[in-house]
Amino acid sequence: MRRREVLQILATGAGLQLAPSKLLIFLREARALIENHQSLRTLNAQQDATVKAMTEMIIPRTDTPGATDVGASAFIDLMLTEWYDDDDRQRFLKGLADVDSQTRGLFGKDFVDCAAAQQADMLRALGEKMIEEAAEQSRVEHEFPADASFYPMLRRLTLTAYYTSEAGATDELHFEIIPGRFVGCQPASPIKEVPQQK
Amino acid sequence: MSEQTSYDAIVVGSGITGGWAAKELTEKGLKTLVLEAGRPIVPEQDYVEHVPTWEVKFRGLGDRKKQLADQPIQSTCYACDEWSSKFFVSDKENPYTTAEGKPFRWIRGRQVGGRSITWGRQSYRWSDLDFEANLRDGIAVDWPIRYADIAPWYDYVEQFAGISGEALGLPQLPDSKFLPPMELNCSEKLVRERVAKHFGGERVLTIGRAAILTKDLNERAACHYCGPCERGCITRSYFNSINATLPAAEKTGRLTLRPFSVAHSVIFDSKTRWAKGVRVIDANTRATLEFHAKVVFLCASTLESTRLLLNSSTPEFPNGLANSSGELGHNVMDHIKAGGADGVIPGNEDRVEFGRRPNGVYMPRFRNVKSKHPDFLRGYGFQGGGYREGWERGISQTGFGVDFKNSLRGPGPWRFSFYGFGECLPSHDNYVELDKERVDAWGIPALKIHSAWSKNELALRHDMAITASEMLAAVGATDIRPFALDEPPGFSIHEMGTARMGRDRKTSVLNSFNQAHDVKNLFVTDGGAMVSSSCVNPSLTYMALTARACDYAVQQMKKGEI
Repeated sequence: MRRREVLQILATGAGLQLAPSKLLIFLREARALIENHQSLRTLNAQQDATVKAMTEMIIPRTDTPGATDVGASAFIDLMLTEWYDDDDRQRFLKGLADVDSQTRGLFGKDFVDCAAAQQADMLRALGEKMIEEAAEQSRVEHEFPADASFYPMLRRLTLTAYYTSEAGATDELHFEIIPGRFVGCQPASPIKEVPQQK
Repeated sequence: MSEQTSYDAIVVGSGITGGWAAKELTEKGLKTLVLEAGRPIVPEQDYVEHVPTWEVKFRGLGDRKKQLADQPIQSTCYACDEWSSKFFVSDKENPYTTAEGKPFRWIRGRQVGGRSITWGRQSYRWSDLDFEANLRDGIAVDWPIRYADIAPWYDYVEQFAGISGEALGLPQLPDSKFLPPMELNCSEKLVRERVAKHFGGERVLTIGRAAILTKDLNERAACHYCGPCERGCITRSYFNSINATLPAAEKTGRLTLRPFSVAHSVIFDSKTRWAKGVRVIDANTRATLEFHAKVVFLCASTLESTRLLLNSSTPEFPNGLANSSGELGHNVMDHIKAGGADGVIPGNEDRVEFGRRPNGVYMPRFRNVKSKHPDFLRGYGFQGGGYREGWERGISQTGFGVDFKNSLRGPGPWRFSFYGFGECLPSHDNYVELDKERVDAWGIPALKIHSAWSKNELALRHDMAITASEMLAAVGATDIRPFALDEPPGFSIHEMGTARMGRDRKTSVLNSFNQAHDVKNLFVTDGGAMVSSSCVNPSLTYMALTARACDYAVQQMKKGEI
């Protein structure tokens, strides 16, 4: 649906003829289209909210920052806009839409409105599907993107966004730009606790 | 103010060999002009080894669409990434063509320092196993030199460049004048011990011999283990022209370095039958300029130096300058790689390495050294190394949440990989020529490359996967994954031959001092001169041959021969 069409429907009140559950969905989509965040270029607000929720579930804030803190969804929007080919982008967006379709079917709600346990069920289902697909697919080395579907793409993008961010690399993994020396084999130091982030 | 156009020497190219020629010739008193096709490099601005992932737009994944448009060939090289793609040529401006069904991957750098900025830094001496190989096998022509001829020049260049490594006393891989070796990591130590035990000492694992300082040398600092050398090195710890040889040449006051100078052809004086100088296209103004000198050194890289000679035909040399033999352009070689295996090495899970060692391990050739293999001639060495899996392993896992995040906080299992580099036999049928229908951005004919692996190379690659897997099995590895990928020639970026040395001017382009048989004051000292390819990385040998050729040229000039 185009933004202009949404505005027309809202203006004529045609949307009010929809069944209540459909109406909620319509209004959310309408809001997403209209309020599309200026800094986002591919994801609309609804899609962005879903991506934010999913990425934060994969890498949550703990004693160190999480995916949302490091702007994972903004990185994903950048990659979808400037890096991927059209068919990869479409595959990602379709997969994202399928997530909502599935949660609506299972729980009667969009992913972002589901309870935490329901969202976790959804991620586990996506993970199982990913493993099945990976088993079917022959392994392609050193190719990016080798990911055939939405969920491995999302995981690759989420983990890349997080572990290549300053917080992910330094707070979480203790990456040092200039180690200054090399030691080939030393005892691993116990994982240090990092102070709670704001 | 008019530009000086007359010099004692002209060097074409400022990479590994051009830098050495510049240093040697200026230090021996020659006013030397170095012509570099690309732009100048300012280390303080252009070196980016300390720029972290979070400061580059695509977090290290590269500007994919731009690279596909501008550098579809270059960007297949691991080093041509979001940081270092600027050290690789534009494929649009620098086209080449290949024969139908014969792909060739040509990876190139045009800037001051050339490919020495991004090279792999692995540095090994060749041995008489290599220099006698063609004679022994009755293939191509014999090398006009032996190890004893080049050994003192290895000593000489190593002590300036700085090569770290471990002495082993092996005849097939002579020791260099080493700086202290870098340390093996946990899994490498384990593999080394177990391989030694299972293979009767015939297969030896050692730390890579690398042109990286492990202690300060010649005003260059020891390595600080930041990792990505191919992005430059502000402490000048690894060897490249900008870090080492060009500053030495500059210090003499006799160096003129001219960037944006695309060499078009060598100017031949038909009266004296000597090279008069080099014709250049100024990359900025497009003006054609001529520079003259008493001696000309071509150090533009194997295929570029040959292209330049092919583009310098004269009535006397209708098929390319200094090509009375007809061998110019022929016998192009590259190492065959992409065969090997990797696996998980159990143990040492509570131990880690600290710092990012920009160097792997090396296993010297063991095939056709003491015994003869039934399936192939020559052999291969293994590079590779041990490493712990990083956060990337989490992508293909299904976990999420706090426990998942915690599980990625430490490193994953130890893996170890063997990655082979094998010798390529010289063949007259593998050759380059000028493509009459294609020119580069400066109107110079592009190269057309005709090159394919022979059965011998493919047998080597096959054997790499087998021996790598058998060694991993013997050391107790799990999840062993052999590989033998169908990679085209060129991609080892060790292209050699096309202007080979030889004893007979009828079958070779250069004599034993890299001097053209046909044109006395013309030298080619890059990989073009190689007569066979060995299986070890060639750059150190180029350095030694260049220094040796410079010494010879200056002696000849003093005698009035040049």
